[in-house]
Parts: sequence; C-alpha cells; structure tokens
Amino acid sequence: MSSFSNFRPTRRGLMKGGTALAGAAALGGLPGRASAQSKTLRVLLAGDPFYYAIEGLKDQFEQESGIKIELEAISLEALQARLTSSFVSNEPDADVISVDQMWLGQYLESKWILPLDPFIKKDKDTDIEDYVPEILYSMNTWRGQVGTLPVASYAQMVFYRKDLMDAKGIKIPEDGSWTWEEYTDIIKQVNGADFDSKKIVGTVVAGQQPAPIVHMYTQLQASKGARWFKDFPAAPKWDFEPTIDSPENLGALKAFVELYKLAPPESIGYNWFDAGMRFAKGDIGMFYWWTAYSYLCKKDGYMSGKDSVVANVMGIVPLPKQPGKDQVVSLGGHSLGIAGNTQKADESWQFIKWATSAKTQKAMGLFNKFGYQFSDFARKSLYADADLLKIYPYLPGQLVALQAGNGKIVRPPAPVYTTLEGIYGLNLNNTLSGAMSPEDCLKQTSSFFTNILKGNFLIPYNQPSFDDTLDATKALIKSLA
Amino acid sequence: MTLASVPAAPRKRVRRHMPDYVPWLLISPSVILLLALIAFPLLFALKNSFYFWNLQMGPTPLGFVGFDNYKMALQGGFFLGALWNTILLTVVGTAVEFTLGLMIALLLARQLKGMNVARALLIMPTTIAPIVVGFLFRYMYDPGGGLIPWLLTSVGIPIPAQGLLGSSTTALWAVLFADVWQWTPFFAIVLYAGLLSIPDDILEAARLDRTPPLALLWHIKLPLIKKTALIVVMLRFMQLFNTFDLIVVLTKGGPGSSTRTLGYTLYQAGMVDFNIGLSSAMTWMMVIIVNAIIGLFVFFAFRDWD
Repeated sequence: MSSFSNFRPTRRGLMKGGTALAGAAALGGLPGRASAQSKTLRVLLAGDPFYYAIEGLKDQFEQESGIKIELEAISLEALQARLTSSFVSNEPDADVISVDQMWLGQYLESKWILPLDPFIKKDKDTDIEDYVPEILYSMNTWRGQVGTLPVASYAQMVFYRKDLMDAKGIKIPEDGSWTWEEYTDIIKQVNGADFDSKKIVGTVVAGQQPAPIVHMYTQLQASKGARWFKDFPAAPKWDFEPTIDSPENLGALKAFVELYKLAPPESIGYNWFDAGMRFAKGDIGMFYWWTAYSYLCKKDGYMSGKDSVVANVMGIVPLPKQPGKDQVVSLGGHSLGIAGNTQKADESWQFIKWATSAKTQKAMGLFNKFGYQFSDFARKSLYADADLLKIYPYLPGQLVALQAGNGKIVRPPAPVYTTLEGIYGLNLNNTLSGAMSPEDCLKQTSSFFTNILKGNFLIPYNQPSFDDTLDATKALIKSLA
Repeated sequence: MTLASVPAAPRKRVRRHMPDYVPWLLISPSVILLLALIAFPLLFALKNSFYFWNLQMGPTPLGFVGFDNYKMALQGGFFLGALWNTILLTVVGTAVEFTLGLMIALLLARQLKGMNVARALLIMPTTIAPIVVGFLFRYMYDPGGGLIPWLLTSVGIPIPAQGLLGSSTTALWAVLFADVWQWTPFFAIVLYAGLLSIPDDILEAARLDRTPPLALLWHIKLPLIKKTALIVVMLRFMQLFNTFDLIVVLTKGGPGSSTRTLGYTLYQAGMVDFNIGLSSAMTWMMVIIVNAIIGLFVFFAFRDWD
C-alpha cells in the first residue's frame, strides 16, 4: 500500500498528470459548458422601474423553466446603440431585448427581431385577447405583425396636489371634462402661492432635448388636433408630407410656452425623471406626465423606498381636452422582443411569455422591495384585480387613459423618427429658451422634416404602404387568439 | 598525468553583412498591424461617407451619393455651430488648464508643508471617469440647492433663473468648468515632474545671480520644461476636441445647441440617428480639422526640436 510519504513527484510525472487532467477537463467540460449555455438566456433591458420587478422575480422563472437568466439593464439610448452595433456586426449580444415602439419597424424590417405571431399562435395561453388593443396597436405591431409584447405600458395623465387645490377651493374634474385652457388657468391660480411652507410653482415641464421635451409636448400637440404627417400610418397610401406647421400646432406650442412660463425656469433642462421628482418635492401645483409617475412620485427618489412629501396628497386625473377635437392620449412603455440572431428563440419566447403574463405582471405590481413601484399593466384583467386596486387605486382612470391612447398619432413611428425627434426637440427647446419664436420653430422644423424625409426617399413614398389602424390590430389579435 | 594548459585561440568575431532589407522585414509585422488598425477604420469610414447608409432605413448602404453627406453636414448648420463650440471649449480649456496647472506645479515644487498630501489629492479628479464627473457637477449646478449656485450667489454673483446649465450664455462655461476641475491636476502633475527634472545647479546659479522669480520662471524654468509642456498641451487639446461624456451627462448639447460639440454631434448622427453615411463624413471632416490644427502646432512648436 503506498502512502503519502512514498509519494515522490517527478517533473515528467507531473507533466503527464497535468496533461491527462487538462484533457479530461476539456473532454468532460465541453458538453457540460454547451449544456449550461443552452440553459442560459441573456436578457438586455432598459433600466426603467419594470426592470427592478423582473430582477426581483426572475428566480421564479428560473425555477419553473430551468433556464438561467442573465439580466442586464442600461439606458434606452445606450441600449439602442449597443443593439444596433450587435446586429450590424452580426455579433449576438442578448437573446431577449427591450425594443422601444419607435424602433419596432426598423428592427422587424431589418430582421433584427423575430415576429412573435407564430409563437403566440402556437401558445394559446399567451391570452393575447387580454391585452388592451390600443397598447398592442401603439407599441407592438408593425405592418400587420406582432414584433414584441408589452412589459410596461404608460399613458399620460394629470398629477396634482389635492391638499393645495382643496385649500384654494379648486375642483379638479375626475372625468376628464375640462379643457387645456382651464388647466392653464388653474396653474395660474396656484402659481406663486405660499403653501405647506413652500412657494408653489404652478407646473413643471420636461424641457430637455430631444426626447423628454418631445414626449411632453406632443401630448399637448395631439390633444389639440395637430399631426406630424399628411397620411401616416392609418392610410391606404402613406404620405409623409409634414403637417407640423399648422394653426393647431401653433396654438399648442404657444400654450406650451405659456406653461413653461409657469414652471421652474431650470426645467428647460429637465429630463423625464427630473420633472417627476420636482413634483415629488412638493412645490409644484400640477403637471401632466407618463403614468409611471403615479407611483414614482410617491417616493422621494428612484427606488429609494422612502415616501415623498406628496405620497398621500397626490391626485391623478385624465388629461384636459381641446373643445371640438377628439382626445388622443400618448402611449409609451417598454416591450420585449426576441433577437434575430439568437440561437435560443424558444427559450426566449418562454421568458417573454412569462414576463408579460398576467400572473407575473401581478407579481411585479405586488413586488415591494422599494415600495410598490410597478403599475404599468398592459392586460385588461389586471385593472380589475382587487389586490392591485388596493395598492394602486388610480388604475381604473389609467385604463381609461390607455383606451383613449394612440401612440402612432402622438409620436408616429416613421422610419426616420429618431432624426425627426432630434430636430423637433432642439427647436422646441430653443422656443422655450426664447431663442426662437413658436412660428419660426414650426416653420423651420417643417422645412427640416421635408429635407430629411426627401433625403431618405420617404417623400414621395414609393414603397408599399400598410393601412395601420386600430381595427386592423384588433383583427390581428383575433386571428392570433 | 599533467595537463598542459594551452591558451585558447582568440575568438574571431565574424561580422556578417546583414542585407539592408532585414531591419525592414523585422519591423514590418508591427508596422503592418499598426497601419491596419489605424487605416482600416478610417478607410472604411471614408468609403461610407460617400454612401447613403441610414440604419433606420435599412441594414445596408442604399446607394452612392458622392459628396452629399459632406454637403448635408455643412448645410445642416449643426456641424459649423458645433465646430465653433468645440474650438472655444478646446482653446479656452487648454489655456486655462495649462495656466492653473503650471501655478499648482510651481507651488508643489516649493516643497511646502503638506505637499505630499496635496499631491495625492490632486491626482484624484483625473482618475474619476468623466461620466461620474458629469453627474457630480449636475448635482453641484442644481439651482435648487447645488453648491456652485449657492457659492456664487453668496459672493454676490447672479446666476441665470434657468440655472447655469439651463442658460445658453453660461452652459458652455459650466461644462468647461467641470472639465477644468477634472483635468487641471493632470497638467499640474506632469508639469511638476518637468520642474523636478530641472538641474539644481542651474536654479542655484540663477538664485546666486539674484534673478527675480518671474524672470526665473520665464527665462529658465519654462524653456527647460518646454518639451514636456508642449506635449501635454497637444494631448489635452486633442482630448478636449473630442469632448463628449460631459456634454451627454450635463446638457445633451442644450439649451438649444449652445453646448453641442463635434463629438456630441457625431454621436447624435451615428449612434442616435444611425446615419452611418453622414457620421462617416463628419468623422473625416473632424480628422482633417484636428490634423490640420495639430500639424500647424507641431510645425511651429517643434521647429527647433533637437
């Protein structure tokens, strides 16, 4: 029997052993690694509130499916840049990705994401009919195909300090029966008031260019009846001739400039979150913004878990209307798609189905690590859920706002939308700063739009059009159900 | 048995003639690699600059457009405005950072008490990522309680109602201040190293001659650290010309286009608008401008380089 004391390692012996070990590791390791890889999904998301809920619940998915999730969240801009680099160079990055509604056409047409129709059709338990059709229309369909499914959906609503309005004897209509003029008048009434040991500023805007100001302004623009293009997307023949320089839009822009004059001057540089958090500080009377701020403003910082000063005195009501115009509400949010270059399409679909299911979405709403920080449901059934209504009592109003939504009118997903948004955002920002008059802003923006659209062969539009209507989406949902 | 010792015959070194091409052959792999790494991206960008290639319209180039991308860059108004902002930021930034850096370096060289700690602290801003510096200054510029507006108003300097970053008259200077805060120590450390390399006997001789401090600086110290100073000025000039991170975090080019630099414009065209053709044209215009400026700088500054 050999013992340790008899062990005399030689250099040759060690080398032999080492080689044998390395070989065994390589032979044994290869199939093991391949198997681990096939059971791991890379998920790349935008770092919005929904991410934190998914991150907190992903263990459930891993246990149910046996698939390991590598979750990563980055800013929307960085996400777009990273994904585009990945697809152009054909270097796979992630299997499941966040796809903004404005990128959907580009991604589907470039085959950077897989259409989800076959997966939905195959899995009846996707329960596609449970989705609010306006959301799928605005965020997830392009040319009659479902490219993504919504994981967080926002409309726009008005947020105000109830206690301030009560003290001033101002009644805010709960049913949306008010006009933008009345909205501005109320802001004027509270502007400069001393309340709760604060000097109240009437409202706040998100004035940073390009996206934040465009997101806020276009709600007012659409509500007042102004449109971006002559005929897009709900038209049998698309016509991208800009209609931005219109009397309706001029009225809207002048109203927006008036609102900025009743807002903190520094809000010219505010992004989405800056505007929301300014309201959460308690010195803003009323503003309109994405519904995600229904819960974000209840906290004093992003995922801080601590209540803000307005947490219990915040009113949320539908947007004002423009007399004689149909109300159109802006819709936005985040959706999940399957990367076109993934080798794990089925596993990716499993994850998307899980993350967007009513069960998971409810669990996301009940996830309480940072306080309740998710109520951006796209499924109708969740708006009647008693557990969720207890935490988010404003849900019925939010559903009404979503059902009045049309993201494709407010921010049309034209093929060069991002470039147009860049120009529009810059000129709107210049208008707020006084460097440009509203008239010049619209005139110059329209002229830039025409040049860009012509330069990108969109005017005249000679490619096949698609009459992209809500009814067409409803028919598509029915065919997939 | 005895061994007779025989002196070894002197080794004759055979000097073989090495063919002239051998040194070239030996360094050729590195040269080829270097050229490929530099030339390939530039040539790829040059080719793309003549094509209509917008990823929002399609994944591949849609056609040859000649100089249209260059025309679009120049006629769009953004490029020239951004060029002006960039030149302003670069020239003023380099000058201020150099001057302040030199002053700090002279102080460090005086061996005062606490200079070791000062040296360690000085290096810190330079080690922070510009994106973090951006966030730091965003909070410090906050008109509702930021340190800098508070300091300025405390000493009676009025700040715009929109805040330092919200006004087009102050935004670019606010960005510049953040850059100066971060990079002045870099100048200070490098110039301090230069000052340390000046031989003591020269300084001693000057002192014995009772040379006034300003003359000592101007006629002795500065000429002796000239090479170091010129190199560091050139490096910072090129870095500042590509300023991007601070702009993204602090202003996104706004308000209006008052802080839009060439780096940010290029990012907007390439990574936000995905207009590869236009951004390639802008890249080449930037390459030409930077090389022209640096070429002139090198020509004049390094003329008498031994």
